[in-house]
Amino acid sequence: MSMLNYIIRRLLFMILVLVGVSLLVFSVMMMIPPGMRVAAYVTHEKVTSEDIESMIEVYGLRDPAPVQYFRWLKRIFTGDFGFSVTAEAPVLEGFKSYFPTTLELVLYATPLVILVGVWFGTKGAIHKDKPIDHGIRIFAIVGYSLPTFWLGLLLLMFFYGYLGIFPPGTLSNAGKDVIFSDAWHRITGLLTVDAILNWRWDIFWDALYHLILPTINLVLLSSALIMRLMRSSMLEALGQDYVRTALAKGADRRTVHLKHARRNGLLPVITISGIMFAGLMAGMVITETIFTRKGIGWWMARAALQLDVSAIMFNVLFLGTIFVGVNLIVDLIYAAIDPRIRLS
Amino acid sequence: MSTVILKTDELYTDFYTFEGVVKALNGVSVTVNQGETFGLVGESGCGKSVTVRSIMRIVQTPGKIVDGKIVLFFRDSDRTEGIDILKRSEAFMTSMRGNDISMIFQEASTSLNPVLSIGYQVGESFYFHRLDQMLEETIETVTDKLDGTKFFVVKWWRRLKIALFRRELRRLKNYKDEIDTIDNELYALEEATDVKTVRRRNMLNRRRDQAWKKDLLVQLVKRVPFLKRYQSDIQETVRSHVVSLLNSLGVPNSERCVDSYPHELSGGMQQRIVIAIALACNPILLIADEPTSNLDVTIQAQIVDLIKTLKEKIISSVLFITHDLGLVAEICDRTGIMYAGDVCEVASVKEIFSNPLHPYTQGLLRSVPKAEQVEKLSTIPGTVPNLISPPTGCRFHPRCPHAMEICVKEKPPTIEVSDGHSVACHLYGEEE
Amino acid sequence: MHSTDSPVDGSTIGQSASEAQGETKHPGLREFLFSMKRLLKNPLTIIGLVIILFFVFLAIFAPVLAPPPQPHDPYLMPHDGWKIQPSPPSAESPLGTLPSQYDILYGVIWGTRNAFRIGLFVVAANLAVGIILGSLAGYFGGIADEIIMRITDIFYAIPMLVMAMALVVAFGRGLQSIIIVLIILGWPTYTRVIRSEILIVRDMDYIHASRASGSSHLRILAKHILPNSIFSVIIVASMNLGTTVLTAAALSFLGLGADTGYADWGQMVSTCRNWIVGPADNRLAYWYVVFIPGFVIALFVLGWNLLGDAIRDVFDPKLRRR
Repeated sequence: MSMLNYIIRRLLFMILVLVGVSLLVFSVMMMIPPGMRVAAYVTHEKVTSEDIESMIEVYGLRDPAPVQYFRWLKRIFTGDFGFSVTAEAPVLEGFKSYFPTTLELVLYATPLVILVGVWFGTKGAIHKDKPIDHGIRIFAIVGYSLPTFWLGLLLLMFFYGYLGIFPPGTLSNAGKDVIFSDAWHRITGLLTVDAILNWRWDIFWDALYHLILPTINLVLLSSALIMRLMRSSMLEALGQDYVRTALAKGADRRTVHLKHARRNGLLPVITISGIMFAGLMAGMVITETIFTRKGIGWWMARAALQLDVSAIMFNVLFLGTIFVGVNLIVDLIYAAIDPRIRLS
Repeated sequence: MSTVILKTDELYTDFYTFEGVVKALNGVSVTVNQGETFGLVGESGCGKSVTVRSIMRIVQTPGKIVDGKIVLFFRDSDRTEGIDILKRSEAFMTSMRGNDISMIFQEASTSLNPVLSIGYQVGESFYFHRLDQMLEETIETVTDKLDGTKFFVVKWWRRLKIALFRRELRRLKNYKDEIDTIDNELYALEEATDVKTVRRRNMLNRRRDQAWKKDLLVQLVKRVPFLKRYQSDIQETVRSHVVSLLNSLGVPNSERCVDSYPHELSGGMQQRIVIAIALACNPILLIADEPTSNLDVTIQAQIVDLIKTLKEKIISSVLFITHDLGLVAEICDRTGIMYAGDVCEVASVKEIFSNPLHPYTQGLLRSVPKAEQVEKLSTIPGTVPNLISPPTGCRFHPRCPHAMEICVKEKPPTIEVSDGHSVACHLYGEEE
Repeated sequence: MHSTDSPVDGSTIGQSASEAQGETKHPGLREFLFSMKRLLKNPLTIIGLVIILFFVFLAIFAPVLAPPPQPHDPYLMPHDGWKIQPSPPSAESPLGTLPSQYDILYGVIWGTRNAFRIGLFVVAANLAVGIILGSLAGYFGGIADEIIMRITDIFYAIPMLVMAMALVVAFGRGLQSIIIVLIILGWPTYTRVIRSEILIVRDMDYIHASRASGSSHLRILAKHILPNSIFSVIIVASMNLGTTVLTAAALSFLGLGADTGYADWGQMVSTCRNWIVGPADNRLAYWYVVFIPGFVIALFVLGWNLLGDAIRDVFDPKLRRR
């Protein structure tokens, strides 16, 4: 029953933080002059300065902040996030078309990051100070220092520019023709998944082919963080008394490492995976821009350049919500694994 | 006549730290006889823990055993000579630890893995060393159930399980035969020192490390998501053994305890679990490294009583480490006093208290406050030496009231002064 | 030599031979020297230090190494002509040029100053805010703690880069904006670190003892608590400097920073996007545009990360004595 208690407490907390996030986003919005905020309501091309003034009046963009805040909240809860210049569509529409691309990349990258990071981190700790450990440590610290955009550009330059493989974008031109034709049913929006559902394996491989480089880009950098953390927390676990007990029991080295030490070593890594996920989303902005994948990261980058206020605000709000949700899940996983939290 | 079961012979263990080489053990020789409780006494840092860790060969890095012998006389009739375990392979040690020699530690709460259940941690001992027995019992139980089954599917599922268990058992038996052959040969070649024999010994050790304990097919099946459920039967068997073990140790509510986690138990209960883990396979020697030092006095008394009872029934011999002389008087038969990596004096408990010979022992006994004492408490002046650059000759000489010239120059040899009573002090040389 | 009956002279008891020869240093000094020795023994520290010193050198001697063509604003990169296509490394431009002929070497040298400017400003400001708020939250606890912690939770809820982008849109583009934005977004990390360090130290007995003997809160904070908490903060600051510069570069790369032709590393990288693939016969023709500015960023951040890592290896009490 205390587990239920714990969940409820965390949910309430989550709501509190979301309210805070909305306040934060809103205050940032308020810092933008009304003239620019008007763009959220503009759906046609030519707008004169009188139009802008009257629109400001109509939408009450000079009213006191609390009034605007609650008005904005009301709008949000009805699903109206305004119009996005960069998407040339209402914000929610743009989101629906862009989000699946990002989601696809995240779904492929995240498990890889965790697996690679945990595996190499464990290896480094077990073989401490041997050559493989040094290699892992160097890789981890170099990987942590590399700018995402630089690595992405280099990958692109080498593989696509020089070798001619792994082009940017989400699909080849031939693939795009298929997608936009009538034969294609867009079900989830995730290209690889839809390809299977449509039973078009050629599209599946095409999409996967285009996913390789961006995934490598993301995985290389984020796994470095996990690798370092896993290594140090594993070393700490290996120095604990219960490892000594396990040895004295007659456990072989492998059991000690995997069953006893690693389980404890994973705990800090789980905690940080929430933050790592946030980093992944941030990296998405850059990765999508470089590899020309039209996801919400790419959208955000363009929105920032073109001062598309409504798009930016929506995305910030969305990412904040996702992040809070992910943290909640991470906390629950942690509680499920560590009995000290679960049963107290 | 008492039979020796463990004998260390001039054991030297060094720690290679950043600041220098810590010469932790300076030629430690300790003997434990069958059926006795041997108390190893000394101040913090004198090397008691290092000694027993060396015996178990679980010295922490950066430590290494650099010289000496550790001889075990465990197996009975056919073996009159001992086995020097320093010459054996790691696989050999792994099969000894928790099985023939067990150890319990000071801080019970940190000695238990917080994320694994009590049942799992105690059960591990059975999995490591008594797997064949567990398998046989499980096969029997499932075979019995098999006779009563009607449904076709269940019948075949049970047959499959029995087949898998049998396979595992067969592999285990083959493994045991293999290593028994190797061990027997190693025993025969124990004393020889010529190059050819040494090479053969090394090869045998290597082979022992590499022998296959596990059956491939079984390992494969164990990992398949649905099939691996077949293991629940053997888990049941192990669990019942764990529960009866906990019961015999006086753990209340053992059924519930088995499913709970270390942090849910009290200090005394945790220590009982640690003892349970150590005793699961009926070891010949139990090493207790200050098991009661962190408990309050009432719990301490309980644990001491427990160990005493167990000694009568299950364990044959105990090597008990403590700094508490009162405890020594209570439970030990013989005791050895250590100082700064040296064994100063070894005698029966009666002898030590009535006739302490080594100046350090005398100082120790003098410093214990007595009920009728009216004068100032006596102490041994000075502090424990730095073991990176220890004092020359006898390591106690800077603090010894009877120190002579020779004490600075030469390490005193261990002399047997009377039956079972030996001292390492120049005051008791043969010439006198 | 000693007589057989009298107890040994107390002053030499318990000391090993070398110590008795009279070399007892002050423990604080000894610890410090020990730390320094450990630090310098680690090859990674040396590399990190060398890298950082190299950049410091570049920053300080920028006017000498790369004389600005327009003295009033040295950050405007010189360009020899207006040809869009980048020129490969040559005698005049040892590292080649960017599109529109901006000299890369010049940009790298003066960009160092920018990097340091951004990094040091942001980290210093965050340190100050973090120490104040962290002390408030950690030491005094109660409502102040709750409020501050909730606010940091909110800041943590949104990925840094994304939030930075939003704020830069609000404040307008440019390096100044970036600095302000990063300060605003960076203080929660420091606050949390200081707070948790203080929480550990606050309940230790020597603090109680100090209170019991009448020290004021401020005195306790300044003399006892902060010096012990400072090491974690130094480690965080060192690594944070690297990440700050990375984030700033990312923002510049996205076009939210300086304008084209300004000596900012991130901006320099952004110019290469159209020049990733060269002509068919030499596909890597413009490698220097893609590789060099980004490499400089990576090197800079690596130096700080190595230093922070090494400091942590030395000062973390758990890893200290091996």
